[in-house]
Amino acid sequence: MNTKPDSAPAQDLPSSFALPVVSGTNEAKPHAHDHDDVVAVALEHASTRSTPAEGAYGKTYWLGLEEKLATPEFLEETRPEFPVGADLPPTGFARREFMQILGASLALAGATACSTRPQDERMVPYTKTPPEIAPGNPLHYASGMTLAGHTSGLLITAREGRPVKVEGNPQHPVNQGAAGIFEQAFLLSLYDPQRARVLRQGNNPRSLRVLAEDISSLVGTKAVGDGGARLRFLTEPLNSPLLADLKARIQRKLPSAKFHSFAPISNEAADTAHRALFGQPVQAVYDLTRADVIVSLDADFLESRPANLGMSRQFGDRRDPKNGELNRLYVAEHRMSITGGMADHRLRVKSQEIFGLAAALAQAVGGPAGSLAASAKGGTLRPEVASWVQAVAQDLKSKAGRSVVLAGERQPAAVHALAQAINAALGNVGATVKVVPAAAPEASGLAEIRALVEDIKAGRVDTLVITASNPLYALPVDAGLAEVLDPKQNANRKALSVLYAGHYEDETSKHADWFVPLAHQLETWSDGRAVDGTVSIAQPLIQPLFNGVPEAELYALFLDQPFRPAYQLLREYWTAQGGEAGRADFETRWETWVSEGVIPGTVATAVTASPDVGAAATTVSAYQPPASGDLEINFVADYKLLDGRFANNAWLQELPDPITKIVWDNAAILSPATAKKLGLESGQLAELEYGGRKLQVPVTILPGNADDTVTVALGYGRTGLHEVVAKDVGFNANLLRSVNAPWFDGGAKLTKVRGSHTFARTQYHWRMEGRPLALDMSVSELAHPSTATEHVLERVQGEHKLGKQNNLPDFDYAKTPAEGYKWGMSIDLSRCTGCNACVVACQAENNIPVVGKEQVSRGREMAWLRIDRYFEGDENNPAMVMQPVACVHCEKAPCEYVCPVNATVHSDEGLNDMVYNRCVGTRYCSNNCPYKVRRFNYLHYTQGKTPTEKMLMNPDVTVRNRGVMEKCTYCVQRIERVRINARVEKRLIQEKELQTACQQTCPTQAIAFGSLADPAQRVTQLHEDERAYRLLHELGTRPRTAHLIRLRNPNPALVATAPAESKPAHEGGH
Amino acid sequence: MSRLSAAMLLAVPAIAIGGLLAYVRSPHVTNQAHPVEQPIEFDHRHHAGDEQIDCRYCHWTVEKAPSAGIPSTTVCMSCHAQVWNKSPYLTEVRKAFFADQPIPWVRVHNLPDYVYFNHSIHVGKGVGCATCHGRVDQMGAIEQAAPLTMSWCLDCHRDPKPNLRPAEFITSMTWAPPTDKAEAAALADKLYQEYDVHSRTSCSTCHR
Repeated sequence: MNTKPDSAPAQDLPSSFALPVVSGTNEAKPHAHDHDDVVAVALEHASTRSTPAEGAYGKTYWLGLEEKLATPEFLEETRPEFPVGADLPPTGFARREFMQILGASLALAGATACSTRPQDERMVPYTKTPPEIAPGNPLHYASGMTLAGHTSGLLITAREGRPVKVEGNPQHPVNQGAAGIFEQAFLLSLYDPQRARVLRQGNNPRSLRVLAEDISSLVGTKAVGDGGARLRFLTEPLNSPLLADLKARIQRKLPSAKFHSFAPISNEAADTAHRALFGQPVQAVYDLTRADVIVSLDADFLESRPANLGMSRQFGDRRDPKNGELNRLYVAEHRMSITGGMADHRLRVKSQEIFGLAAALAQAVGGPAGSLAASAKGGTLRPEVASWVQAVAQDLKSKAGRSVVLAGERQPAAVHALAQAINAALGNVGATVKVVPAAAPEASGLAEIRALVEDIKAGRVDTLVITASNPLYALPVDAGLAEVLDPKQNANRKALSVLYAGHYEDETSKHADWFVPLAHQLETWSDGRAVDGTVSIAQPLIQPLFNGVPEAELYALFLDQPFRPAYQLLREYWTAQGGEAGRADFETRWETWVSEGVIPGTVATAVTASPDVGAAATTVSAYQPPASGDLEINFVADYKLLDGRFANNAWLQELPDPITKIVWDNAAILSPATAKKLGLESGQLAELEYGGRKLQVPVTILPGNADDTVTVALGYGRTGLHEVVAKDVGFNANLLRSVNAPWFDGGAKLTKVRGSHTFARTQYHWRMEGRPLALDMSVSELAHPSTATEHVLERVQGEHKLGKQNNLPDFDYAKTPAEGYKWGMSIDLSRCTGCNACVVACQAENNIPVVGKEQVSRGREMAWLRIDRYFEGDENNPAMVMQPVACVHCEKAPCEYVCPVNATVHSDEGLNDMVYNRCVGTRYCSNNCPYKVRRFNYLHYTQGKTPTEKMLMNPDVTVRNRGVMEKCTYCVQRIERVRINARVEKRLIQEKELQTACQQTCPTQAIAFGSLADPAQRVTQLHEDERAYRLLHELGTRPRTAHLIRLRNPNPALVATAPAESKPAHEGGH
Repeated sequence: MSRLSAAMLLAVPAIAIGGLLAYVRSPHVTNQAHPVEQPIEFDHRHHAGDEQIDCRYCHWTVEKAPSAGIPSTTVCMSCHAQVWNKSPYLTEVRKAFFADQPIPWVRVHNLPDYVYFNHSIHVGKGVGCATCHGRVDQMGAIEQAAPLTMSWCLDCHRDPKPNLRPAEFITSMTWAPPTDKAEAAALADKLYQEYDVHSRTSCSTCHR
């Protein structure tokens, strides 16, 4: 028996369990054993499968470092299919207690058994039914979500007056129907029972009227006195035309009052660079549809807000070979990011090297960029960086006017200036780069905070109004705002009155004299600009649940005018905008704006000014990258919690980080080489020292991180009073940060300390045993496959005959649209960035419970859709492939014939139906599922919901009880709804009206769904694409979900110099 | 003796199980023939019977929504603001209307939470109100006429033809298929074609 799996495919075959014969390749090959002896094959298979990767297929894909290195601990931990403890009975009360409780309930059952009649259930109709409501039918409303100075256009589904699902607004030019994880999770934050509900002064509850009178007298005194010179506002960046107008009106009443705006994650550096280059507050809007070459200088543009949704769409469209030549993405970054995973060429550099790299790139591109770069003190580049830069510059120059260079928001203004100078030199400005007036023109960086703190310290402030999101938590520890607001540290604190308006009783509210609970955006009227200038009118979906005050109404209090609700303020503002002419038909236009969610014609027009590269010379020449030191510390916004404002959102907390796959935690991320150097291992505790401050952090090792750097995510370690979900999750990296180097700096130290930390990672849950699953190859490889590739393609795409393993009869599915539907899905790995939006959308649509860190660590997470993240190649510098996997709805489903109660059966349209009311919880189906996509309710995860949390549930989907198996249904509730509508109207279902939740939200349109019986549908065409393959095709399950091979578009000049993929270290077997 | 005990050994469990099966299907358990007392003595005999008001006047969403809809108090008052507007029977209705408080009706037809029934498709394909709800015009207090068990649903989904009727009689309480069997079958076939009936029996049709 050949135990060496890393050889030719033909030899590998015996080690694959119960395989039907793949035609063409090796039928004639004599096998080492008798095929009938299935059990023996299985055992043999298990014993030979001690190497994790499928070496036989040319490439090595691995889920994590432990797997790649096949450490004994890893093998011990993961050999069993389920993690340790996965099948333990639930703890909670002891068995004896259980019997007692059981006895008691049986006794009660005896008493009530005489009557089988259920308790009377009441039906409560409306007194006056609103004309638009037909009970049971959903309604859709356009609205918006404003986050840190940018508004995303949403379309919200409401059932009987309660919002139950958030989608992107298809009419919004940035969203185009897509929504990211924050938009999806926005809904949960609306119903969060831990939101603040009491308006208070000190510890005493107050009515809004008392506050209004207080403010009125304050404003009255100030208006006649110093004109508000001692009044300060600290706001989010004001991208709302209404709030900007209210601000202007407040300043007219109180001319000396000052407004500061602050967002922890802002494009401040870009704004500074643009102000220098263009002489006015502008921002760049990128058009990737026309960019053949994209260079990212630490820019995670596919995920970092606010432009990510639009850019993902454009980027995805250019990764599909059907749309013409693929674009080419170069990324230079310090950590493995979502954008880095999509790169054709990714360079690991320290953050501080980016400046030198940008200067060298500008130099190589030449022209005005070269002259700007001449003044840069970037230092010398490492040779591999220099050669990379040359190749990139060559490629950029060959695509002048059809390329784009992007700089990340963590990089200083100097890098942004260089990037924009390169764009200008290449003639990209005006082509792929559009310069428009900034949506929120004020500066909103740390300088604002510095000015405010100085004023307070000097005693120039007596009233401070904070509407910025939790600044005391989100600011670096030495920003000084916390000290001046804390009575224990500031002796003159009594002279200062602080009003804080927020959604939660958080770190900032602790030091506020007045606290005002803000209304959620879905509870009030507002407006706001998107990144391209588009204004959305965001309408409320529900009355305030917890007596929140709309932000606009709070601002209006400072006008000292009769009370007007937010609706009236908004209408008055927009009525005044049209001038006399607009006033006439305002009502009609208003109705259109509100129903469509966008005001037409508000997309910003491009500024004609060309960049004055000379003006930015001082920005570039004055910048000195921080000294390198031993270890560079990097702070990043978290992929799930952003700056911490989503920390109390359980959907996001339980969402696996797209790269590390850690849930409910953050970690200090190191590269394998650095970890080895520091003697650290994943899960160990270490002391991170930076700038004289120390913090104990758990360490995790992530391939793809730059060496000698440590990356920590912000947003964790929250200590808010009532934020129960967020409490004590992870560590607060802000405690190390400094205002002088808020994003990266050298000179950090990491030393091992005693103790360990258990991460809950979904990385090795639900593995599919290292077969060729996520496939990627270069364009040329697909066009002219090598022998190895041919073997892979044969295995995953080839026609194959089912042998005796064919234990389900064939079924005659519909072949034409007239005969019926044949549901199928396709997932394009070329487009998928792994952003997780689909996972949260699925959770929201299908009432999927959150189970908590402990349950996840036992492998009991419930998400129906998971995204497998595979690394490939060198363990220090791997490539990455993302692969979303949900139930693939096999035509010959292995789960079905093992169910003893017929709880999972096939529909005539090819759906693998799950019947909850039949399921008795044997879990045989999950055991027999090769894709590991079934989820079991080990506990009653949905019990104990508060009334507001119950309002969140989608009424079209059963809320599952304990002991029931569940899985992806292809959103069957959506299919049935449109089917009924179509059949009442006696027509067929249109492709456009039916989308699954994951498909609808996907920013890159990687997911398509529809009827395979209709050759005109997108999904059918994708199923027939040359890149389409079926997961575990060789098992003969005939999945209805096809995956499309990820394509890469490498630069031939760099491929030659790239290090060859390292051979697996464990060649020869174990 | 031993033969008798052997027989008993088989018969007793068989009878017990058979009895249980019969019991859970009995009208007592399915809640049939059990008039339900409502907060207001609303009489369908009068409204649907004597006055011949179409079902859809009050249950107006039946053709376009999953739920037929329980009429809002406004619907009651649309007539009773003029008719019987001083009747003591309607005191509670008027009170509810002017206090803007909904009337808490007691549910009669109660499907389990994991069953998703849709009125619009059934009415749209020619299944009349009386087919499932019985002669509502003869009920003083509404009672459940059909067992609403899964096998009862499936009987019709497997062979819907006997239960189809022309759309113009969809709310009729008295319509009956032609007495002549051949004629009835011909009508059923015609309606089956005309309404494009495709009753489904996949699990996910009702369980999602």
